[in-house]
Amino acid sequence: MSPPGRARGWGRLGDRWVTVGVLALFGAAWVAVTRSGWVNDLFLPGPGLLWDGFVDLVENGYKSRSLWEHGALSLKRVLLGFATGAAVGTLLGLAMGYNRKIEAFFDPLVEFFRPLPQLAYLVLLIVWFGIGDRAQIVLLFLTALPVSSVAAMDGVKSVSIQRVQAARSLGASGWQVFRHVVFPSALPEIFTGARLAIGVVYATLIAAEIIAGSTGLGWMILDAGRFLRSEYVFVGIVLLGLLGLLLDRLLLGIELRVVHWAGRD
Amino acid sequence: MRMIPAVPALRTARPRRPVAAAVRRGGGAGSAWGLRALSVGCALAAWAALHGLRLVPDFLLPGPGDVFATFVDVLRHGYRETTLWQNAASTLYRCGAGFLLACLTGVPLGLAMGYSRRVGAAFDYLIQFMRPLPPLSYLILLILWLGTGNGSKIALLYLTAFPIVVSAAMAGVRSTRVQKVQAARSLGATERQVFRYVIVPSALPMVLTGARIALAAAFSTVVAAELMAATDGLGWMVFSASRFLRNDVIILGILVLGLLGIALNRLILALDAGLVHWRGVE
Repeated sequence: MSPPGRARGWGRLGDRWVTVGVLALFGAAWVAVTRSGWVNDLFLPGPGLLWDGFVDLVENGYKSRSLWEHGALSLKRVLLGFATGAAVGTLLGLAMGYNRKIEAFFDPLVEFFRPLPQLAYLVLLIVWFGIGDRAQIVLLFLTALPVSSVAAMDGVKSVSIQRVQAARSLGASGWQVFRHVVFPSALPEIFTGARLAIGVVYATLIAAEIIAGSTGLGWMILDAGRFLRSEYVFVGIVLLGLLGLLLDRLLLGIELRVVHWAGRD
Repeated sequence: MRMIPAVPALRTARPRRPVAAAVRRGGGAGSAWGLRALSVGCALAAWAALHGLRLVPDFLLPGPGDVFATFVDVLRHGYRETTLWQNAASTLYRCGAGFLLACLTGVPLGLAMGYSRRVGAAFDYLIQFMRPLPPLSYLILLILWLGTGNGSKIALLYLTAFPIVVSAAMAGVRSTRVQKVQAARSLGATERQVFRYVIVPSALPMVLTGARIALAAAFSTVVAAELMAATDGLGWMVFSASRFLRNDVIILGILVLGLLGIALNRLILALDAGLVHWRGVE
C-alpha cells in the first residue's frame, strides 16, 4: 500500500507530525477567525458556541424530541430501506450474473434506475405514499436495489472458470456449484456493493429528510438553518459525518468477519 | 485503516472482465437485444395497463400517452415560462462546473498525496472527514455563506465531487507496481520521468473511474439541491410540478433525468475507452 519505494528520510513519525500540524493549523485558524470577530458567529460559530450548542442539544433535544430520537429515527429508516433494498438487489444480481436471459431482461431497468437522481422520484413517491416514513423507506429501497444488484452481478461474473470446472468435474450439481463455489466467490463484491449502497442510502435519506421531513437529523439541520441557529447546523453536520463513518465501519467489520477468504486467490 | 480501499466503488466499478462462460446459463448474446427490448416493452405495457384499467386514479399516475403529450407541450410552450432546454442546460451547467472544478483541483492534489507521504499525511484526514458527509447537510451552510444563487450550488457540487476524485487519484498512484518504478529507475529515469511516464499512466484508469463515480454523485446532488432552492433546472421543474399535482410533468422530468444520467455515464466511459487503452492490460 505504501508508495513504491519513495520513503524519503522522514519516517512514520514525521508523517504523524505533519498530520497533527495541519489539523492544529486548521483548528488555530478557526479559533483565530471566530475570536477576532472577523466572521459573524452566524456564519461560523466558534468552538465555545459549538460546544454549548452540542450540550444544549444533548440535554434539551430539538423541538420536543431528544437528539437520540432524531438519530434513531434516521437510523431506522436507513436500516429498513437498506436491508430490504440490498436483500432484493443481491438476489436479483445473483440471478442476473448466473443467467444471461435474466440479465438481458432486467439490465435496462437497472441501468435506468442506477444513474437516476434518487430525489427526482422522491417527489412522485410523496404524492403516492404521503409525507411519512413509507415514502422515504420506499425511496431508500429503490436507491439500494440497483447498487447491490450490479455488485452481485459483477461478483458472479468474476468467478474463475477453473474453480467451477474443478467442482463440476468432481461431480457437483448445479446447485452445489452455485452454493459452494459461485456464491462464496461473489461474496466479497456483494459486501463491497453493500458498503457502497449504505453510503448512497444514507446520503439520500438525509437529502429526503431535508426536502420533505418532519423528524430526523437531516430535518433538524434544515430547521436549525431556517432559524439561523448555525451552531446546531454545525453540530448536526459533525454528527452526520460520524454516523456515516460508523455505518461504513460496521459493515466493514461484518465483512472482515464473514469473508475471511477475500483477496486470497 | 490503510488496508481499506479508499473508494469502495473502485472495486465494483471496473469494466467487465471476460465472462466465465461456463458458469452462465441462458444462451449467447444473440437473444440479448430481443430480451432488452422485451423488458422495456413489458415496463411500458405494465404502465399502460395500470393506467388503462383504471387501477390507479388518473391524477396519481398519468398514462404513457399523457406523458408524451406533455412532452410535446413542454417542448413547444415550455413549463412555467422556462423551456425544457433551459432547465436541462442549467442543471448540466451547475453539475458540469462543480465537477470540472473538482477534477482540476482534485486530481493534482490526489496525485501529490499518493506520490508524497508528507502531502498525503497533511490532507488525508480532511478528505476522509468530508467523504462520508451527506452533501445536502452542508448545503444549508453554503446557502448561508454564498446565497441561494448558482454559487452555493456549484460549491456544493464541487465539495461533493472533490473527495471522491482525490481519493481515487491517490489510490491510483499507490496501486502503481513497485517493479515498474524500479525498472524505470534502473534504466536511468529521473524522478520527474518516473512520475510522468510510469506513475501517471498507471494511475489514470483509477482516476477516470473516480471521475465517473464523482460525476454520478454530482448529478444526483444537483437535482437534490434544485429541489431545495432554485428557480430553474430539471430538479426545480419536478419539484414545482409536484406542488401543482402535475404528475405528468414529474414523470417527464424523471425520464429526462434518467436519460441524461445514462448519457453522462456513457460520455465518461467513452472518454475512458479513448484515453486509457491500456486499462486491464498488465
